[in-house]
Formats: sequence, C-alpha cells, structure tokens
Amino acid sequence: VRFFLQIALGVIAAIGGFVDIGDLVFNAQAGATFGYSALWAVPVGVLGIIIFAEMSGRIVAISKKPNFQLVRERYSDSLATVTLVASLVLTVLTLGAELGGLGFLLNYFFDVSVSFFILVGFIVVAAAAYFLPFGGIERIFGYMGLALVVYLAASIKLDPQWSQIGNGFIPEVHDSALYWYFVVGLIAAALMPYEIYFYSSGAVEEQWDERDLRVNRANAIVGFGLGGIIAVSILVASAQVLLPHGISPDSIGTVALVGQVPYGEIGLILALVGMLFAVGGATIDTAFSAAYNLAQHQGWKWGKRLGWRDEPNFSLSLAGFALIGLMLAETGIDPISLTEYAVIFSIPVLPLTYLPILLVGGDKRVMGKHVNGPISKVLGWGYFGLICVLAVAAPILFVATNGGG
Amino acid sequence: MRLLVAAALAATAVFLTACGGPMRPDELGRSVDTLTSSAAEGRLIAVDVARARTKDTFARVRARELGETVDHEAEKLTDATPRPEIASQKQEAIDLAERISEALGQIQTAPQDRAGAAQAAHTLGVLSERTDELSKGL
Repeated sequence: VRFFLQIALGVIAAIGGFVDIGDLVFNAQAGATFGYSALWAVPVGVLGIIIFAEMSGRIVAISKKPNFQLVRERYSDSLATVTLVASLVLTVLTLGAELGGLGFLLNYFFDVSVSFFILVGFIVVAAAAYFLPFGGIERIFGYMGLALVVYLAASIKLDPQWSQIGNGFIPEVHDSALYWYFVVGLIAAALMPYEIYFYSSGAVEEQWDERDLRVNRANAIVGFGLGGIIAVSILVASAQVLLPHGISPDSIGTVALVGQVPYGEIGLILALVGMLFAVGGATIDTAFSAAYNLAQHQGWKWGKRLGWRDEPNFSLSLAGFALIGLMLAETGIDPISLTEYAVIFSIPVLPLTYLPILLVGGDKRVMGKHVNGPISKVLGWGYFGLICVLAVAAPILFVATNGGG
Repeated sequence: MRLLVAAALAATAVFLTACGGPMRPDELGRSVDTLTSSAAEGRLIAVDVARARTKDTFARVRARELGETVDHEAEKLTDATPRPEIASQKQEAIDLAERISEALGQIQTAPQDRAGAAQAAHTLGVLSERTDELSKGL
C-alpha cells in the first residue's frame, strides 16, 4: 500500500507540476491563433519529456549521476563550459519570466503593483524553498497546481467539436511560418532543459536507487502524460474562448480569463490559483536547476538535503541566481516576451542537454541490465534527431515571424 | 577585415532602412488587430462584470493593462507617417483606439458598476467589430 501511495503522490505532483509559464503562454497563443490545428505538437513534446525524464531518472537510480555530471564526464572541457553557460543563461531567463508571472498573478488578487508582488512572490517561494523539505516543495506546488484542471473542465463544458479536436492530433501541412513557430514552441515548452536538470538532480536529492525504478517510470509516464492533458486542455479551451473573438493573449491575465468565461468567478480563481502554484513551483525548479548545474559542473558538494554549511558554494550560487532572476523580473520586462525568448532559444541547447543522457543510458558498462532497451533506443535517438532539426528551425522561425508576432 | 566592416555597415544600413519609412498597410493591420483583440477581451470582462461573475480586482487590473496596450498603440499610430493610401484608415484607427480606451476606463474605474459595465460591453463589442472590419479592409 505504501508503495502505491508513494507512486500516486509522485504522479499527482508531476501532473500539477508539469505546466509552467512557457506551457501557459504557448498553448493559449496557439489555440487562440490556430484553433486545434497545432494540437498534435503537444503530445509530441510530452512524449519527448517522458522519454528523457525516465532515462535520466533511471541513470540516477543506477549510477547516482545527475545530468550535468554526465555533461562534464562525456564532453570536452570547452563543450561542457559552453553547455553550462548556455543552460545558465536560459534557465535564469526562464526564472525571470516565472517571477514576473508570479507578480502579475498576485496583482490580479490584490491590485497593488506588479513590481511589489514580484518581490512578495520571490520572498514566499524563497521561504518555501528554505523551510520545506525537498519532497514537500514538489508536492505542495504540484497538488495546488492541480487547480489547472479547471481548463479541462472548461474545455468540456464549452461543448467542443470532438471531431475537430481529433483532427487536431493529426499533423497537417501548413504554409504559415507562424503556425510552425507555434508548433516548435509547443514542443519546446514541454521539453525545457531545466525540467530534466531538476528531475535528475531531484532524484539524487531523494536518494533514488534500483528500488525506485518503478516510481521513476510511473512519475515520468503517468505524471507527465496526464500533465500533458492539462496542457492540451489549455490549448483547447483557448481555441474555444479566444479564437472566435479574435483575442490574442498578450498577458497571463488573458489565460486566466479562459477559466472565467465558462465558470465565472470560481473558474477565474481556480485558474489563477493553479497558475500561481504552477509558476511558483517552476520558479523554485529553475532557481535550483541553475545552482545544480553550476555545482555539478564545478564538482562542488550540492543539494538541499545537505545543510548550507556543508555546501556553501551551492547555497551561494542558488541565492545568486535567484537574485539575478529577481533583478531581471524587476526591470519590468514583459514576462510573456521573456518566456517566448527563453522557450525558443532553449531549443538550440536541447541537443547538448540530451546527448549525454542518451550516451549513458545506452552504455551497458554503466547501466548493466537497466541499459536502454530497443524502444528507448529508437525513441531516444529519434527524438534527438527531431530536436536537432528544431534547434536549426527555431531561430529562423523566430526571425521570420518577428518573434511570433 | 575592411571587407567585413563594410559588409556589417551595409547590413546595418539595410536593416535601418527596413525599419524606417512610411507605415505600410500590413503594419497598420497589426496595430488594428491589437485594438480588436483588446476591445474583444475588454468586452468579455465587461460582460462578466455586468453579471457579477468576476473578481473586482481582476477586472480592474486587466482593464487597466488592456487600456495601456491600447494607449500605447494609439501613440505609435499617432507618431507614424502612413503611406498616402492608408492615411484615413490610420486616423480612424486612432479614433477607435481612443474610444476603446475610454470604455476600458469605465471598467477600470468602477468594476462594481454593473450597469456601466453592461454599457461598456456593448460599446466594446461595436468597436471590436469595427476594428475587425478596418483590418480586413487593409
């Protein structure tokens, strides 16, 4: 019973914790602009994160090595440094966007100022990160993020055309660069590199071993899979509410409005609370990911499970990255634009992030009997090929569409 | 090295040239689409304010944000020099922006005023239809 409870709790946390500001922005914009026709890109991205999260969790359970330790071991010094710098820049950009999003969301409840609530949000998530145990952070933010299920209820209540939704899962040929920009953005939003950094480092924090392989598989497949359903429902509900009126989401407030239209104030509050915890959780994930990466690259002792006296470099870098994110958010830069930049420019970093996982996951000397099977191999390398193509296409589409605008 | 510098200068000149010049119909169209989107979203908020099915702070803050977007668009339009064939449409877009901003101001100022919100919803509905027509005509 305890084992199943552990799996169930982890899965629930993964569902609520799957969505971040990138998913909110790209799913709402894609639905509002192209209806259901880009829906197929969401499961493509979700399957990708399932494959790489499962692989990285399995690697930690067997070899105890998180993602950036693999980068350091498998790459030359210069390539590892390039990967580190690129990942840090993008993770801190994402952190700034998440903090900006928190400021906007809190301001919708209390109407003081966004700048003030960015600071309040920062203090609250910093306190949660400091005082709560690692599993507690993951679960509280994951469970409360489940309020986003309001989008699933909304998309059903708004009487969707099921056949059109079904057609949306079939890829189509499209001559619009903007359509492909959203397709790439939807896939990338699900595959953000910080998610893998955090997942693999979190497995080390929770001291996974061979006995946790089933928990890892359930978290990755069921948790991320069901989290993907929330992402799909945000797109579907946005297509139903925003597209017929010609509304283009330029703010996280527009995404919240999608919950209000079918359910009134209660729908609005559920949407705002769900987004608040989803974005709050992602704020902690991104800050930790940046510090994990630097510490693992430098070979420092790291981890929340250790006291700050035992790993001062890690704690200082965590505080430093969090403050840089805060300063970035406080510049007043639009978090939606920042999110778009972070998501699109994270794509060229994806191959550098995922290659070491594939190499180690397929290395029988390291993984023994838990080495990648034929399905993992084919899917893993297939997705690696896909993200290499996306890495080239993303910057081109960004320029061609004037940043999706 | 000189060749590289010359190429960089030429590229910069081409870039700056592309950025300047009179406003084109597609640029005006993008501005008008922003007005349509803001008016339509404002209408949805106003409808829910009129039916008391939203949160006052949300309605106020979001109406303010939309108003700022519309005002910014009006400023950009006012500063832009249009091509002669779209001069009248540009002026109409500025006029519509001012009216949208005024209706959004009603929700921002009094998010508890259900009758005022119903009036604002009607106005914003009419204005979003007009901006949509204007955009399609460009």
